[in-house]
Amino acid sequence: MMYEFKVADLAEEFGVHRNTIRNWINSRTLPAQEGPGKRYAMKVSDYVALCDKFGIIPKVNMEMAVEIEELKTITTAQTGQPILQLGEKTNTLFDDPSWGDVCLTCGTCASACPIAGVNGLDPRKIVRMAVLGLEEELIESSWPWKCTMCGKCEEACPMNVEIVKLMRRLRSRRPRNLVPGPIHKGVAMCLERGNNLGIPKDDFAFLLQDLGEELAAETCPGFTTPLEVRGSRLLITVNSKEPFAEPDDMKWWWKIFYAANESWTVSADNWEGVNWGLFSGDDEAMKTIVGRIVDNLERLHCEALLLPE
Amino acid sequence: MRENRITLDNTIHTKLATYHDPCNYGRKSLKAFGHGYFEEGRIITRACCPSFVDMEPNRNGNYCCGAGGGAWAMPYAPERVFYGRIKARQIQECGAKMVIAPCHNCRDQLKKSLNKEFDLGIEVKYLWELVSDSVIIPTKK
Repeated sequence: MMYEFKVADLAEEFGVHRNTIRNWINSRTLPAQEGPGKRYAMKVSDYVALCDKFGIIPKVNMEMAVEIEELKTITTAQTGQPILQLGEKTNTLFDDPSWGDVCLTCGTCASACPIAGVNGLDPRKIVRMAVLGLEEELIESSWPWKCTMCGKCEEACPMNVEIVKLMRRLRSRRPRNLVPGPIHKGVAMCLERGNNLGIPKDDFAFLLQDLGEELAAETCPGFTTPLEVRGSRLLITVNSKEPFAEPDDMKWWWKIFYAANESWTVSADNWEGVNWGLFSGDDEAMKTIVGRIVDNLERLHCEALLLPE
Repeated sequence: MRENRITLDNTIHTKLATYHDPCNYGRKSLKAFGHGYFEEGRIITRACCPSFVDMEPNRNGNYCCGAGGGAWAMPYAPERVFYGRIKARQIQECGAKMVIAPCHNCRDQLKKSLNKEFDLGIEVKYLWELVSDSVIIPTKK
């Protein structure tokens, strides 16, 4: 059984400042979990223990817990009707419906969102639709893909509704062949060939060597591109856009490393630094792609990873 | 910079510069990791560009460029440009002629899209491009 409270209420109950309660929560002196609507929950037993510690009479205790069977008997006796039992949770967009239900539709999110109003997009409406179970309508809509998941709405929300999490969950529920634009194709390509644009290993190695020679001739005498150098301090990932379309842009980082006399390397395979699974809502692919980078770090005995963006 | 391993020439970039806070470095890092990378990029930018001004609002309240979350690659270009109108206005209002973007998405949106659509007349550089163009190459290695 959980005791739900707001920071201000608990502060009044204990006669301390709100910041004290927040500090207790952060330091785990008070073992509470943050929930929807800036409310917190802790076990009643923890609450009672805290009250005992400070000599305060608890507002609730374990004996006040209602037994479901007992409640059924009482309800049936009073109304003559069998108790109505709700079914299993069917809304899959929220971990807990109260995450959406604390939304007051105040519109602070919509005021903060630069794309609210375009094609009927409104964060309030999306949250409300999710609470009401209009899942298919939301998954089919283009709203989650026009939203940039910038988090401005969440930062503004006075009730802590996790709007970005909802948006990303909606993206992840789109069938993969219906993900707009090239981002899912990029993920599939990355899983198959090690980078989003399918640049072959030999071409990549040749390009890096060639650019290294150019840089040596331009500004950095003696520079060579350190491909697959074991024991380098840093492993650097590459945004595939650069070798594909803007190769000279890679030299900016290289010049800084040269000036700083840094020890660094790039892996010959799985060097992609852009994890489009983050945007397409594909956690499995994200995990695989991150895992490959970790494998490279271990294989090349690097100390640290630099994702240069 | 802190360890004096690189020296930056702060006389190369003389235009009034500003720094764009990418959502993922700032607001979203703050939420995910408890630290928003707001100051790091500014310290580096100011070391290269002594003439500096912040956009309003900035840091945790900053507006997205409009191309985040994969939007640069999405087939919704008119919406993306419309989204960016607030960013464009922020840039115009602060008067900067050099915008530093530490994120690939943001840089592409600012440089290749908003600059033209809103006739901003700005130069856009990656944060590391700025450093690379300011770094003094030691004569003896």
